[in-house]
Amino acid sequence: MRPGPGSTLMTYLLLAGMAALFIAPLLMMFLGSLKADHRVLLESGSLTAFLPRELSLQNYSDVFRRSEFPRFFFNSLFITSCIVVCGLVVNSLAAYAFARLQWRGRDLLFNLVLALMILPFEAIAVPLFYGASILGLRDTYAVQILPFIANAFAIYLFYSFFIGMPRELEEAARIDGASTLRIFFSIIAPNAKPVFASVAILTFLTWWGSYLWPTMVTIGPTVRPLPVAIASFYTLPPLQWGDILAFGVMMVAPVVLLFVIFQRWFVAGVASSALKG
Amino acid sequence: MSRRRRLNDQTAPALLLAMPALLGLLLFILLPFATALVLAFTDLRLGSPLAVNLVGLDQFLYLFNDPDFMRALLNNLLFAAVAVPLQTLLALALALLLNRGLPGTLAFRTLFFMPVVFPMSLVAVIWSLIYAPGPNGMMNAFLQWASFGLWEAKDFLRDPLLAMPAIMLLSIWQGVGFQMVILLAGLQGIPQTLYEAAALDGAGRWRQLLHITLPQLRNPLIFVILVTTILAFRLFDQVQIMTRGGPENATTTVIYETVQAAFARQQVALASAMTVVFFLLVLAITLLQRRFTHHQREVA
Amino acid sequence: MAAIEFNNLTKRYDSGIHGIHRLNLKVGDGELMVLVGPSGCGKSTLLRMTAGLEEVSSGEIRIDDRVVNHIPPQQRNVAMVFQNYALYPHMTVRGNLAFPLRMQKQPAMLIEERVRRIAEILDLTPLLDRRPKALSGGQRQRVAMGRAIIRKADIFLMDEPLSNLDARLRVEIRGEIARLQRQLAITTLYVTHDQAEAMTLGQRVAVIDRGLLQQVGSPQEIYERPANAFVARFIGSPGMNLIQSSLYRENGGIQLQLGPRRLPIPQRVLTDFPGLATHSEESVLVGIRPHAIHLSDTDSNETLPARVCTTEAMGHETIVHLDTALAIDNSHQARGDQTHLLVQLTGHHNFSAGEQLAIRIGIDDLCFFDSDGEAIR
Repeated sequence: MRPGPGSTLMTYLLLAGMAALFIAPLLMMFLGSLKADHRVLLESGSLTAFLPRELSLQNYSDVFRRSEFPRFFFNSLFITSCIVVCGLVVNSLAAYAFARLQWRGRDLLFNLVLALMILPFEAIAVPLFYGASILGLRDTYAVQILPFIANAFAIYLFYSFFIGMPRELEEAARIDGASTLRIFFSIIAPNAKPVFASVAILTFLTWWGSYLWPTMVTIGPTVRPLPVAIASFYTLPPLQWGDILAFGVMMVAPVVLLFVIFQRWFVAGVASSALKG
Repeated sequence: MSRRRRLNDQTAPALLLAMPALLGLLLFILLPFATALVLAFTDLRLGSPLAVNLVGLDQFLYLFNDPDFMRALLNNLLFAAVAVPLQTLLALALALLLNRGLPGTLAFRTLFFMPVVFPMSLVAVIWSLIYAPGPNGMMNAFLQWASFGLWEAKDFLRDPLLAMPAIMLLSIWQGVGFQMVILLAGLQGIPQTLYEAAALDGAGRWRQLLHITLPQLRNPLIFVILVTTILAFRLFDQVQIMTRGGPENATTTVIYETVQAAFARQQVALASAMTVVFFLLVLAITLLQRRFTHHQREVA
Repeated sequence: MAAIEFNNLTKRYDSGIHGIHRLNLKVGDGELMVLVGPSGCGKSTLLRMTAGLEEVSSGEIRIDDRVVNHIPPQQRNVAMVFQNYALYPHMTVRGNLAFPLRMQKQPAMLIEERVRRIAEILDLTPLLDRRPKALSGGQRQRVAMGRAIIRKADIFLMDEPLSNLDARLRVEIRGEIARLQRQLAITTLYVTHDQAEAMTLGQRVAVIDRGLLQQVGSPQEIYERPANAFVARFIGSPGMNLIQSSLYRENGGIQLQLGPRRLPIPQRVLTDFPGLATHSEESVLVGIRPHAIHLSDTDSNETLPARVCTTEAMGHETIVHLDTALAIDNSHQARGDQTHLLVQLTGHHNFSAGEQLAIRIGIDDLCFFDSDGEAIR
């Protein structure tokens, strides 16, 4: 049933109204990052906040002057990439073993993995923090990477995908003489690109924005990632909103860029994580 | 049956494949969690010269008599009770609007989903500007305009009554796109023939929504409600950056209190007990969801 | 090249159900053996055990006199064509064909040469750079065949390789497979549920039901001298009519009670079926192929009255369902329920329901089964 013209208009009006509310903070952030610091707060109370007037990149160069932005950016990128890449390998291999290989203890261990899925990171942050402190691992990359590579939810997502792949593909490969590892890399992985993309995106989003853990374990700026960096930049006197917003724009730009390019995968990834459950 | 190796026993390669992940889960999830469970029943405090004792449920009793922690619990519950339904309804409304397949839908979907890719710390910073006190703050100015000048400028984040709603609002703004996308996928999975059959049976738009869309959307709905409710109990980043639990504990949360206890006060055992309480809450929510989800049989 | 031998082969599932029960069968070197039976009869299990994809519960499988029970599929040197072809979706036709050779670490030059030759044989040359998705059903089937024959396996295993094709292609490729198999002379196990396919293809056919081997023999043997009532009903389209009946010893001869008629069994039939003598005074099943029943213009004591129930006109033949005084046996049904006597007539016939006919059953066209369904010979 197609909606009539009246209801179409109504739909657009509602959507446009919501869109305005969603776009306002984004637009203000972007334009504010290009305006002189004192104007940002001054104009935010009126529609001038959304007018692109007298723009400059001054704030951006201020960010580089007032903070170690490149270092923070590198830290975030390095930490997140390590988690994503290692996580893809480690979790997909485990999921494959659970989904397809015959071995003793498999079902028991898999149920344990499923049970671990409901443990949010917050439920282990405290003991993990003390463990890291005792081992003298605070303020390192390792402590921000290693604990997050193995991930029960990622294993589950891979598992759900693998279990749905036609078994004959692997049987054919076995008969053709391929070993288990060979089957995984030559047959399974190339045919499981969607789930690799989904898991990569979900993992990336999670750890690019992760704040709680790095605030706990980082001390100085050396291995500080962006979310912690912006929070401390925000409290760095003097309060200069233009600089803060410029920091924010640079922090989110790569994610937004990736999102715009790979939108389909982002959305599919998020949706698949839900509908499988 | 002979004791010979079974033909399809792949224990060796399987362990090889699964070992790294299992080791990681063991070291970084199971072990810390078990430690928290144990520590919660002791009186360990870092830097204290006293010996560690098993104290049974003392830490829990202390927590439930601690006004700060009880306030934190209450705040989380309040957040869940208000923000979750609002966010879910908004997400459902957006999904239904987008599901009509009108031209331009993709652009709207992109926009509504955009905040989801924003780190919460950045969202908190942006919204701190929006909530700026005085008539120049964007939120104040907007409310003044919307109320024809009746609204008096407030300092949202320092007002005990407004701080929590303010945090709820930005959380909804950031998270609604996530729910919307899931519900939209759910909507698109409903077979068109069901609507056609209902239309033939004389069901109008509302009845279709009530008798087809919502029942068919049951599992995705329950899922997004679960995820958002758990998020409500994990509330931390916004609070830490925007209000530090204040004013007057109006925005403190279980995780915020836990981090305070663990980090600022070195109360290992107490923080562990809070962790356990937090875990039990999450467990309860998850079990509730399992109960309500209809399990569709897998179609081979 | 290799011979296959199954000795007391048994597959029990964890649920206790038997997939295959104490099966004994020898497949000669270069032979094409068709395994046929209704779905769920265990024929695919047998194939998969031969491939090494399923565990053997007890008994043994020998390939060229070597017990292979515990040898993984990678080392059995068998090739298999799957029902859904199992082509690797992310590889081109070339990649699919080359994969088994790459697993054997053959030199690239040789792989290329073999792929080229196989593609020529199977008419796949113009398709080499396509992916399976871009192929028709028949083309996919040929790629699957190519991937099986490219590596000179000892044994071919084919699991319903034609069931995903339309009827016309099925006949065409059936012939092609038979030709290829003869040419390459590779021992082949071919699984199908389609008895017509089994009859046209097999040098020998093994009929399996409920995990038990029912009969092995040439298509002609199986058709003309079914070992039991199941085979009689399963083979042929439609299958054999089975009529509940009794034998009587009378006047020094043996007589058959066929409905209201009692027919003396002539000496030539008794010579053909010496077992009949030991089953006299017993109830037996009498089998008759639907095409062996004839219509008669005149009523006599050699004919039986029948009433038309329904007719199925197929163009070149007509199948008539008749109500008669004969008791149709229902306990050995291989395919669906049957309560009528089926008659298969050449050409087109118009009968209206309820029409009265007279049928004649020739005593020389009968098969006999004891009350357990075993053939009396």
